[in-house]
Order: sequence, then structure tokens, then C-alpha cells
Amino acid sequence: MIAPGRRWTSYLFLLPFALSFCAFIVTPIIVAGMLACSNLDLTSRQSAHWVGATNFTNALKDDYFHKAAVATCTYAAMMIPALIALGFAFALGLQAMKKGRNFVRGLLFVPGMFNVVVAALIWRWCYELDFGYFNYLLHKIGLGPIHWLTEEPAAMRSIVGMSLWWSLGGTTVILLAALQQIPTQLYEAAMLDGATGPTVFTRITIPQMRPVLVFVLVTSTIGAYQVFGQPFLLTQGGPEQTTRGVVQLIYETAFNQYRLGYAASISWLLFAMIGIPVLLIVFLLRRSID
Amino acid sequence: MKPRRFVITPIMGLVALLFLSPVLLMVLTSFKPESEVLNPESAIPKHWTLSNFAYILQWKEEAPFGRWLLNSVFISTSVTFLVLTFTSMAAFAIARLKVRGSKLMLGVIVASLLLPGQLFLIPVYLMLGKLHWLDTPLALIVPATAGGFGVFMLSQFMRAIPTAIDEAALMDGCSSWSLYTNITLPLCAPAMATLGVFTFINSWNDYLGPLVFMDSVRNYTLPVGIALYQSSYFTEYGRTLATSTLATLPILLVFFAFQKQIIESMATTGLKD
Repeated sequence: MIAPGRRWTSYLFLLPFALSFCAFIVTPIIVAGMLACSNLDLTSRQSAHWVGATNFTNALKDDYFHKAAVATCTYAAMMIPALIALGFAFALGLQAMKKGRNFVRGLLFVPGMFNVVVAALIWRWCYELDFGYFNYLLHKIGLGPIHWLTEEPAAMRSIVGMSLWWSLGGTTVILLAALQQIPTQLYEAAMLDGATGPTVFTRITIPQMRPVLVFVLVTSTIGAYQVFGQPFLLTQGGPEQTTRGVVQLIYETAFNQYRLGYAASISWLLFAMIGIPVLLIVFLLRRSID
Repeated sequence: MKPRRFVITPIMGLVALLFLSPVLLMVLTSFKPESEVLNPESAIPKHWTLSNFAYILQWKEEAPFGRWLLNSVFISTSVTFLVLTFTSMAAFAIARLKVRGSKLMLGVIVASLLLPGQLFLIPVYLMLGKLHWLDTPLALIVPATAGGFGVFMLSQFMRAIPTAIDEAALMDGCSSWSLYTNITLPLCAPAMATLGVFTFINSWNDYLGPLVFMDSVRNYTLPVGIALYQSSYFTEYGRTLATSTLATLPILLVFFAFQKQIIESMATTGLKD
């Protein structure tokens, strides 16, 4: 009998996925590389030709790209710490609950099931200046209306607020699962040795949670740098482009201005913007785990 | 027990309620008549009405809500079916049949998961244009089957099944195909269900894909349709919130039906997005 791995028919099982993978993952990556070094512009009559690294050097000097990179980094710098700190706090809260933990966990998770369009619609309605829910509540307690979406720095904070509502459930669930896996003997032994709450937290909980915290840090960094829907739908990138991130710049350069070559080069720059912090996190924190 | 536990339960309950309040406001407001929508005095409608739902469910040329709903159902169902078929077959070849080069293939697939989706957007747009697939459901269905996450997840799961089962089946003259359909797939049912639910939700909620690949209003999916509706009828909040309520309903049903599976797989793999 021939081992199944040696039979040519075994490869037929791979065929559908392999074809799709080559067509829509491998080929696009090669095309993206070539595009980034071309001046393909669907509005121009000239055919595209090779321009080398010109797109990249232009993008690095481009004021629009600078603004977009600043907006994306500002969002990430606010979103990532808030997400992890609140997620951790919620996970600790859920773990300390006596009853109804799974019920509350389910409720916290519901916003994450929402489409970004629907989530933004609800929040835009709450943030509305004249008849929005938040300003109505502020008015009730005698405070003036806040321009939630039309003034900086409120606009970026409002976007982060909606994003937190949208993503906290997932982060909380992951951190709670990790908290529940810490062996109780560790806590019991610490109690016997007379350790107090804060010591237990910094000496047992945090070190035990480290691998999961690194995982959450990496995934939330990747997610934060790719933000698009929330600012695009809440503020359209305003006021004065302060909330227009890199993905929105790619989208508008490619599909409003049809400068596909230039947009492709910006998407590689975004890849570098994500890759560098992620590699740093993995490199710095991995060593301290071992 | 420690007294602080009695404080924490109501606090967490309150937090959950605050989290849900925008959702409750959305549902309640979609039942308000237009005259009450802009009046935040009472969150609960004074006169309950279905007029918002009746209005948006008319198949109007500029906002064919029913058509968008059918598009979304068709696309998400097709993507889920194809992803489950393609990825389970590939994972079977890699993890159970152990074809030559399977380790290398799995490595390439996992590496591809690290690339951000925006990198693919422009080249895939150009390729779909060459295939004349832009503005057809194919543009949203076929490229979605290329993602490697399912192969990675299912092959991890299949690896854990004891090989003695396969050996016994092959000894009895079972072909690879019936090994796949009769033995491996039934054993993988929980992992398949989890992958299916997540694939469906991600496809249902995809926004950038249909925004870029779809041109005519009648070919939109729900998210893009709602976004268009919202930008043209911005002040008609009762109606836009009714569209949101209807679009969210299927996902909430899926969520509450598979709640345990969704949350637990999220907890162990960080599956979402």
C-alpha cells in the first residue's frame, strides 16, 4: 500500500485552496510590489512605466502622508493603552463577580458583533451637536454643548470612544480566559506567605498574564494602525484632516484620484508602520519572558 | 466571602448596561414616529409604530433595502460554504494525508496572515477588473476564499485526531475521499462550526471590500447600502436606525445561537479580525 501522502490524488484535496491562494494572495503581493514602483494613474493617458523608488521618496516628502501618519499614530497611541487597561480592568471585574459572569461577558461582547457602519451610525447620532444624546444629557446637568466631532482634540477622542465600545468585549474575553487559567495554588501559597493584594497582583497576576498581554498588545497594535471605518464614517477625516488616517489616504488616493501606483507605495509604507512596532514589541518582550 | 464581591457584581452589571444602551436606543428609536425621533425626552416611544420599517422595506430604486439584504445573505452564505469546503480539504491533505511539503505550505500560509489587508486592495481591484468581475457578487466571493486562517485553524484541530482511526479505515479499503467525508469531517464538526460562524460574520460586516468593488446601487451589500442611505437621508434618523436594526438582527441571532462557541473560540485563539 502506498502511503496516502505519496499518492498524486492526495494533492487534489489541496487544489481548490491552492489555486485561490495563488490567484488572490501570491499574485496580488507581486502586483502590489510592481505597482508601487510604477506611475499607474487611471486618469492619465500615458501608459504606466517603471519609476523605481520615486513613489516612496515622494510619499515621505508628501504633506498629506505626514498628516495621515500623524493621525494614525495619534489614534494608536490613545487606543492601544486604553484598550488594554480597560480590558484588563473589565476582566478583573468579571472574574471577581459571584453571579452572572457569563451573562455580563456576553453583553459586553455584543457591540463587537456590529457592523462598523451601524456602530458609527449609532454613535454619530449620540454625538450630534444639536439633538444628540450626549449633549442632551450634558444640557440636563447644566453643561454647554460639546462639539464632539467637529473640533480637535474632541474629534479624535470621540473616535477612540466609539472604537473602545466596539472592541473592548473581545479584549476582555481573551484576558478573562487567561486570568481564569492562572493556577489557584499560586494565590493560595502567596496568601499563606502573607502577601497583600497589590503584591499578589504585580508578582503573580501580571507575570502569569505576560504571554497573553503580549498577544493582545500585538493584535491591538495591528488593528489600531489599520483603522479606517470609524473616522471615515464619523468625521470623514475632519476637522482639517486631523482624523484622516493612512488607510483613508490609500483609499482616496486609489479610488477617488485613481493614482493606483502612488497609493500602492503608501500601502507598503503602512505595512512598515505596522511591522516596526510589532517587531519591537515581540523582540523586547519575548526576551523578558524566557 | 469578601464583601467587595457584592459591590463588583452591580458595578459590572451597570457597565454592561451602559455598553448596551446605544443598542437599546437604536432599537427603541426605530419604533418612534418621525416627530418623536428628534426629541430625546423619553427613550421609550410614546406611540409605537412600524412605519419606519414599512418605509425602508419598499423596493425603491434609490434605496432597494430588500435587494441589499438578499445580496448580503447570498454573498455571506456562498463565502462561508466555499471557505469551509476549500479550507477543510486543504487542511485534510496537510494534517491527515501529510502530503510532501505540507510543513512548508503551512509556513507560507501562516506568513501570509501577517500581511495587512490594505496591501491586497489595489492589485485585487485591478485583477477583478481584468476578469470583468467588478460590480458582480463574484468580486466579493472568490477572493474571500484565499484567506489562510481556516487552513491553519483546521489543520491544528485535525492534527489532534489519533492516526489509528485513519489507519484502520485505510486498512478496510476506505478511499481518501470517504476518509475525508465520513471520518475526518464529522470529527471536526465543532471547529467547522466555529470557523463557519466567524467567516459568516466577517463577510456580513465587510465594509471596505464592497465599497471599492461594487459600483451600482442595486449590487451593494447592506453595510455600503446603509452608509449610502445614511449620507443621503442623514436627518431621517428613524429610518436610518430602522435599517441598522434590520441589518443587525441576523448577526445578533447568530451570536445568541452560537454565543458559547463564539466567545470561547475568541478567548482561546483571538479569532476575530
